[in-house]
Amino acid sequence: MKIKTLEEILKKKSSKTEFAILTNLENGNSEIYLPGTSPKGEFSKYSDEIEKFFKSKKNGVIENSEIFVETYIKPIKVVIVGAVHIAQYLVDFAKSLNFEISIIDPRGYFASEQRFPDIKVINKWPKEAFEEIETNSSTALIALTHDPKIDDPALQYALKNKFYYIGALGSKKTHENRCQRLSEAGFTNDEINSIHGPIGIKLGGKSAPEIALSIIAQLVLETYKK
Amino acid sequence: MENSFDEKILDEANDWIKANQKVVLATVIQTWGSSPRQVGSRMIVNEKGDFSGSVSGGCVESAVVSECLSLIKDNKPCKKIEFKVSNESAWEVGLACGGEIAVYIEQIH
Repeated sequence: MKIKTLEEILKKKSSKTEFAILTNLENGNSEIYLPGTSPKGEFSKYSDEIEKFFKSKKNGVIENSEIFVETYIKPIKVVIVGAVHIAQYLVDFAKSLNFEISIIDPRGYFASEQRFPDIKVINKWPKEAFEEIETNSSTALIALTHDPKIDDPALQYALKNKFYYIGALGSKKTHENRCQRLSEAGFTNDEINSIHGPIGIKLGGKSAPEIALSIIAQLVLETYKK
Repeated sequence: MENSFDEKILDEANDWIKANQKVVLATVIQTWGSSPRQVGSRMIVNEKGDFSGSVSGGCVESAVVSECLSLIKDNKPCKKIEFKVSNESAWEVGLACGGEIAVYIEQIH
Protein backbone atom coordinates (compact mmCIF):
# COMPACT_ATOMS: atom_id res chain seq x y z
CA MET A 1 0.00 0.00 0.00
CA LYS A 2 1.22 3.49 -0.83
CA ILE A 3 1.56 6.05 1.97
CA LYS A 4 -0.64 8.34 -0.12
CA THR A 5 -3.40 5.69 -0.14
CA LEU A 6 -3.08 5.23 3.62
CA GLU A 7 -3.42 8.99 4.17
CA GLU A 8 -6.48 9.09 1.92
CA ILE A 9 -8.04 6.19 3.87
CA LEU A 10 -7.53 8.02 7.17
CA LYS A 11 -9.05 11.17 5.72
CA LYS A 12 -12.13 9.26 4.52
CA LYS A 13 -12.47 7.56 7.90
CA SER A 14 -12.38 10.80 9.85
CA SER A 15 -14.96 12.41 7.56
CA LYS A 16 -17.20 9.31 8.05
CA THR A 17 -17.36 8.63 4.33
CA GLU A 18 -18.24 5.08 3.27
CA PHE A 19 -15.60 3.51 1.07
CA ALA A 20 -13.75 0.30 0.30
CA ILE A 21 -10.08 -0.54 -0.08
CA LEU A 22 -9.46 -2.73 -3.13
CA THR A 23 -6.20 -4.67 -3.16
CA ASN A 24 -4.75 -6.76 -5.96
CA LEU A 25 -3.08 -9.52 -3.95
CA GLU A 26 -0.81 -10.46 -6.85
CA ASN A 27 0.97 -7.16 -7.31
CA GLY A 28 0.05 -5.26 -4.14
CA ASN A 29 -1.71 -2.42 -5.97
CA SER A 30 -4.47 -0.84 -3.95
CA GLU A 31 -7.16 1.67 -4.65
CA ILE A 32 -9.90 3.46 -2.75
CA TYR A 33 -13.40 2.83 -4.04
CA LEU A 34 -16.48 4.95 -3.33
CA PRO A 35 -19.85 3.17 -3.54
CA GLY A 36 -21.84 4.04 -6.65
CA THR A 37 -18.77 4.95 -8.71
CA SER A 38 -16.94 2.67 -11.17
CA PRO A 39 -13.79 1.03 -9.92
CA LYS A 40 -10.66 2.09 -11.78
CA GLY A 41 -8.13 0.20 -13.90
CA GLU A 42 -7.47 -3.40 -13.01
CA PHE A 43 -10.45 -3.41 -10.61
CA SER A 44 -13.00 -2.18 -13.16
CA LYS A 45 -14.34 -5.59 -14.17
CA TYR A 46 -15.28 -6.47 -10.58
CA SER A 47 -17.75 -3.64 -10.09
CA ASP A 48 -20.77 -5.92 -9.33
CA GLU A 49 -18.87 -8.07 -6.86
CA ILE A 50 -17.52 -5.02 -5.03
CA GLU A 51 -21.05 -3.58 -4.66
CA LYS A 52 -22.17 -6.95 -3.26
CA PHE A 53 -19.53 -6.77 -0.53
CA PHE A 54 -20.74 -3.28 0.29
CA LYS A 55 -24.37 -4.31 0.55
CA SER A 56 -23.56 -7.20 2.87
CA LYS A 57 -21.08 -5.03 4.85
CA LYS A 58 -18.50 -7.77 4.50
CA ASN A 59 -14.82 -8.04 3.64
CA GLY A 60 -13.27 -10.77 1.51
CA VAL A 61 -11.57 -12.02 -1.62
CA ILE A 62 -13.71 -11.92 -4.78
CA GLU A 63 -14.30 -15.49 -5.96
CA ASN A 64 -11.92 -16.75 -8.67
CA SER A 65 -9.80 -13.65 -8.39
CA GLU A 66 -6.94 -12.19 -6.40
CA ILE A 67 -8.85 -9.06 -5.42
CA PHE A 68 -9.43 -8.32 -1.74
CA VAL A 69 -12.25 -5.98 -0.78
CA GLU A 70 -12.40 -4.27 2.59
CA THR A 71 -15.46 -2.12 3.23
CA TYR A 72 -15.72 0.78 5.62
CA ILE A 73 -19.25 1.66 6.68
CA LYS A 74 -20.39 4.57 8.81
CA PRO A 75 -20.17 3.95 12.55
CA ILE A 76 -23.43 3.73 14.49
CA LYS A 77 -24.51 7.07 15.94
CA VAL A 78 -25.19 7.27 19.63
CA VAL A 79 -26.78 10.37 21.14
CA ILE A 80 -26.18 10.86 24.85
CA VAL A 81 -28.41 13.26 26.75
CA GLY A 82 -26.60 14.57 29.80
CA ALA A 83 -22.93 15.50 29.80
CA VAL A 84 -22.56 13.78 33.18
CA HIS A 85 -19.78 11.72 34.76
CA ILE A 86 -21.07 8.41 33.28
CA ALA A 87 -21.00 10.02 29.82
CA GLN A 88 -17.26 10.60 30.16
CA TYR A 89 -16.70 6.85 30.55
CA LEU A 90 -19.17 6.06 27.77
CA VAL A 91 -17.10 8.26 25.48
CA ASP A 92 -13.99 6.24 26.40
CA PHE A 93 -15.69 2.91 25.67
CA ALA A 94 -17.28 4.20 22.48
CA LYS A 95 -13.89 5.17 21.08
CA SER A 96 -12.61 1.60 21.06
CA LEU A 97 -16.00 0.14 20.11
CA ASN A 98 -16.31 2.58 17.20
CA PHE A 99 -19.60 4.27 18.07
CA GLU A 100 -19.96 7.89 17.02
CA ILE A 101 -21.06 9.92 20.01
CA SER A 102 -22.92 13.23 20.19
CA ILE A 103 -23.82 14.73 23.53
CA ILE A 104 -26.75 16.99 24.25
CA ASP A 105 -26.93 19.04 27.42
CA PRO A 106 -28.49 22.47 27.79
CA ARG A 107 -26.59 23.01 31.05
CA GLY A 108 -23.45 24.84 29.99
CA TYR A 109 -21.42 23.97 33.07
CA PHE A 110 -21.77 20.26 32.23
CA ALA A 111 -21.38 20.42 28.49
CA SER A 112 -17.94 21.95 28.38
CA GLU A 113 -15.40 21.09 25.72
CA GLN A 114 -12.79 20.59 28.40
CA ARG A 115 -14.79 17.69 29.85
CA PHE A 116 -15.34 16.18 26.39
CA PRO A 117 -12.47 16.87 24.04
CA ASP A 118 -13.01 15.70 20.40
CA ILE A 119 -16.72 15.03 20.94
CA LYS A 120 -19.64 16.86 19.41
CA VAL A 121 -21.26 18.50 22.45
CA ILE A 122 -24.45 20.44 21.74
CA ASN A 123 -25.23 22.95 24.43
CA LYS A 124 -28.95 23.22 23.63
CA TRP A 125 -32.31 21.75 24.64
CA PRO A 126 -33.03 18.42 22.90
CA LYS A 127 -35.56 19.85 20.44
CA GLU A 128 -33.08 22.33 18.96
CA ALA A 129 -30.12 20.00 19.40
CA PHE A 130 -31.66 17.26 17.25
CA GLU A 131 -31.82 19.73 14.37
CA GLU A 132 -28.02 19.50 14.31
CA ILE A 133 -27.79 15.70 14.31
CA GLU A 134 -28.79 13.50 11.39
CA THR A 135 -30.64 10.54 12.89
CA ASN A 136 -32.48 7.46 11.61
CA SER A 137 -33.55 3.99 12.73
CA SER A 138 -29.87 3.05 13.12
CA THR A 139 -29.35 5.67 15.83
CA ALA A 140 -29.25 4.98 19.57
CA LEU A 141 -30.24 7.23 22.47
CA ILE A 142 -28.85 7.12 25.99
CA ALA A 143 -30.66 9.47 28.36
CA LEU A 144 -28.65 10.14 31.50
CA THR A 145 -29.95 13.29 33.19
CA HIS A 146 -33.02 11.62 34.81
CA ASP A 147 -34.46 15.11 34.69
CA PRO A 148 -37.81 14.93 32.86
CA LYS A 149 -37.34 18.46 31.47
CA ILE A 150 -34.27 17.32 29.55
CA ASP A 151 -34.71 13.55 29.08
CA ASP A 152 -38.41 13.43 28.13
CA PRO A 153 -38.26 15.53 24.95
CA ALA A 154 -35.24 13.47 23.79
CA LEU A 155 -37.01 10.17 24.54
CA GLN A 156 -40.08 11.38 22.65
CA TYR A 157 -37.93 12.35 19.67
CA ALA A 158 -36.18 8.97 19.70
CA LEU A 159 -39.47 7.05 19.90
CA LYS A 160 -41.03 9.06 17.07
CA ASN A 161 -37.95 8.54 14.90
CA LYS A 162 -37.75 4.82 15.75
CA PHE A 163 -34.24 4.71 17.15
CA TYR A 164 -33.09 1.07 17.43
CA TYR A 165 -31.94 1.47 21.01
CA ILE A 166 -33.37 3.81 23.63
CA GLY A 167 -32.21 3.64 27.22
CA ALA A 168 -32.92 5.90 30.18
CA LEU A 169 -31.08 6.13 33.47
CA GLY A 170 -33.05 6.20 36.70
CA SER A 171 -34.50 3.96 39.41
CA LYS A 172 -37.52 1.71 38.85
CA LYS A 173 -39.68 4.39 40.47
CA THR A 174 -38.23 7.12 38.24
CA HIS A 175 -38.85 4.91 35.22
CA GLU A 176 -42.46 4.18 36.25
CA ASN A 177 -43.15 7.91 36.44
CA ARG A 178 -41.42 8.40 33.09
CA CYS A 179 -43.61 5.71 31.49
CA GLN A 180 -46.69 7.37 32.95
CA ARG A 181 -45.72 10.73 31.41
CA LEU A 182 -45.01 9.16 28.02
CA SER A 183 -48.36 7.39 28.13
CA GLU A 184 -50.09 10.68 28.87
CA ALA A 185 -48.21 12.18 25.93
CA GLY A 186 -49.89 9.58 23.70
CA PHE A 187 -47.21 6.91 23.24
CA THR A 188 -48.38 3.28 23.05
CA ASN A 189 -47.40 0.60 25.57
CA ASP A 190 -45.25 -1.14 22.94
CA GLU A 191 -43.34 2.07 22.30
CA ILE A 192 -42.88 2.75 26.00
CA ASN A 193 -41.80 -0.83 26.71
CA SER A 194 -39.14 -0.59 24.04
CA ILE A 195 -37.24 1.83 26.29
CA HIS A 196 -34.54 0.14 28.34
CA GLY A 197 -35.23 1.48 31.82
CA PRO A 198 -33.58 1.28 34.22
CA ILE A 199 -30.82 1.35 31.62
CA GLY A 200 -28.04 -1.23 31.36
CA ILE A 201 -27.32 -4.89 31.99
CA LYS A 202 -27.31 -5.83 35.69
CA LEU A 203 -23.66 -6.24 36.56
CA GLY A 204 -23.94 -5.16 40.18
CA GLY A 205 -21.53 -2.21 39.99
CA LYS A 206 -22.35 1.26 41.26
CA SER A 207 -19.41 3.40 40.14
CA ALA A 208 -19.63 5.65 37.07
CA PRO A 209 -17.32 3.46 34.90
CA GLU A 210 -19.21 0.32 35.98
CA ILE A 211 -22.56 1.84 35.05
CA ALA A 212 -21.08 3.02 31.73
CA LEU A 213 -19.88 -0.54 31.09
CA SER A 214 -23.33 -1.97 31.81
CA ILE A 215 -24.89 0.55 29.40
CA ILE A 216 -22.40 0.02 26.58
CA ALA A 217 -22.68 -3.78 26.98
CA GLN A 218 -26.46 -3.52 26.56
CA LEU A 219 -25.99 -1.27 23.54
CA VAL A 220 -23.67 -3.79 21.84
CA LEU A 221 -26.06 -6.64 22.68
CA GLU A 222 -29.06 -4.80 21.22
CA THR A 223 -27.05 -3.77 18.13
CA TYR A 224 -26.37 -7.37 17.15
CA LYS A 225 -29.96 -8.44 17.99
CA LYS A 226 -31.39 -6.07 15.38
CA MET B 1 -27.31 -4.82 12.60
CA GLU B 2 -23.56 -4.52 12.21
CA ASN B 3 -21.40 -1.79 13.59
CA SER B 4 -18.44 -0.72 11.51
CA PHE B 5 -15.35 -2.78 12.13
CA ASP B 6 -12.29 -0.63 12.72
CA GLU B 7 -9.61 -1.33 15.27
CA LYS B 8 -7.71 1.79 14.20
CA ILE B 9 -4.56 -0.11 13.22
CA LEU B 10 -4.20 2.00 10.09
CA ASP B 11 -4.22 5.13 12.25
CA GLU B 12 -1.39 3.63 14.25
CA ALA B 13 0.45 2.62 11.06
CA ASN B 14 0.41 6.25 10.01
CA ASP B 15 1.86 7.33 13.37
CA TRP B 16 4.67 4.82 12.96
CA ILE B 17 5.44 6.01 9.44
CA LYS B 18 5.54 9.61 10.65
CA ALA B 19 8.10 8.44 13.22
CA ASN B 20 10.23 7.23 10.28
CA GLN B 21 9.65 3.53 10.86
CA LYS B 22 9.29 0.94 8.12
CA VAL B 23 5.84 -0.57 8.40
CA VAL B 24 4.42 -3.84 7.11
CA LEU B 25 0.67 -4.25 7.23
CA ALA B 26 -0.76 -7.74 7.79
CA THR B 27 -4.44 -8.38 7.03
CA VAL B 28 -6.59 -11.49 7.47
CA ILE B 29 -8.00 -11.97 3.96
CA GLN B 30 -9.63 -15.40 4.24
CA THR B 31 -10.70 -17.77 7.01
CA TRP B 32 -11.95 -21.37 7.01
CA GLY B 33 -13.52 -23.18 9.93
CA SER B 34 -13.23 -21.75 13.40
CA SER B 35 -10.74 -18.91 13.37
CA PRO B 36 -10.39 -16.33 16.10
CA ARG B 37 -10.21 -13.15 14.05
CA GLN B 38 -12.54 -12.11 11.26
CA VAL B 39 -11.57 -11.15 7.72
CA GLY B 40 -10.21 -7.60 7.72
CA SER B 41 -8.43 -7.95 11.10
CA ARG B 42 -5.09 -6.21 10.98
CA MET B 43 -1.67 -6.08 12.54
CA ILE B 44 1.35 -3.87 11.85
CA VAL B 45 5.02 -4.72 12.25
CA ASN B 46 8.03 -2.39 12.09
CA GLU B 47 11.65 -3.13 11.16
CA LYS B 48 12.55 -3.74 14.82
CA GLY B 49 9.89 -6.43 15.13
CA ASP B 50 7.53 -4.34 17.29
CA PHE B 51 3.93 -5.13 16.47
CA SER B 52 0.40 -3.93 17.21
CA GLY B 53 -3.01 -5.46 16.49
CA SER B 54 -3.67 -9.14 15.76
CA VAL B 55 -4.50 -11.63 13.05
CA SER B 56 -5.27 -14.56 15.37
CA GLY B 57 -5.70 -15.14 19.08
CA GLY B 58 -1.95 -15.10 19.60
CA CYS B 59 -1.36 -18.35 17.68
CA VAL B 60 0.51 -17.11 14.61
CA GLU B 61 1.56 -13.55 15.43
CA SER B 62 5.22 -14.50 15.99
CA ALA B 63 5.38 -16.18 12.58
CA VAL B 64 3.74 -13.14 10.97
CA VAL B 65 6.34 -10.87 12.59
CA SER B 66 9.23 -12.91 11.13
CA GLU B 67 7.57 -13.02 7.69
CA CYS B 68 7.15 -9.23 7.82
CA LEU B 69 10.81 -8.75 8.81
CA SER B 70 11.89 -10.92 5.84
CA LEU B 71 9.69 -8.85 3.55
CA ILE B 72 11.51 -5.68 4.67
CA LYS B 73 14.93 -7.40 4.43
CA ASP B 74 14.29 -8.76 0.92
CA ASN B 75 12.53 -5.52 -0.05
CA LYS B 76 9.52 -7.32 -1.50
CA PRO B 77 6.17 -5.50 -1.80
CA CYS B 78 3.77 -8.20 -0.62
CA LYS B 79 3.16 -11.86 0.18
CA LYS B 80 0.27 -14.18 1.01
CA ILE B 81 0.75 -16.65 3.87
CA GLU B 82 -1.58 -19.48 4.87
CA PHE B 83 -1.77 -20.98 8.35
CA LYS B 84 -3.36 -24.34 9.03
CA VAL B 85 -4.33 -26.40 12.05
CA SER B 86 -1.40 -27.10 14.33
CA ASN B 87 -0.43 -30.41 15.84
CA GLU B 88 -0.94 -29.67 19.53
CA SER B 89 1.81 -32.02 20.64
CA ALA B 90 4.45 -30.33 18.52
CA TRP B 91 6.03 -26.94 19.09
CA GLU B 92 5.05 -25.49 15.79
CA VAL B 93 3.20 -22.46 14.59
CA GLY B 94 -0.42 -23.08 13.75
CA LEU B 95 -3.94 -22.51 14.88
CA ALA B 96 -4.80 -24.63 17.89
CA CYS B 97 -8.43 -23.65 17.40
CA GLY B 98 -8.71 -25.82 14.31
CA GLY B 99 -9.27 -23.05 11.81
CA GLU B 100 -7.28 -21.95 8.81
CA ILE B 101 -6.44 -18.40 7.85
CA ALA B 102 -4.79 -16.58 4.98
CA VAL B 103 -2.86 -13.45 5.88
CA TYR B 104 -1.68 -10.90 3.36
CA ILE B 105 1.38 -8.86 4.25
CA GLU B 106 2.39 -5.71 2.40
CA GLN B 107 4.91 -2.94 2.88
CA ILE B 108 3.56 0.57 3.25
CA HIS B 109 5.87 2.65 1.09
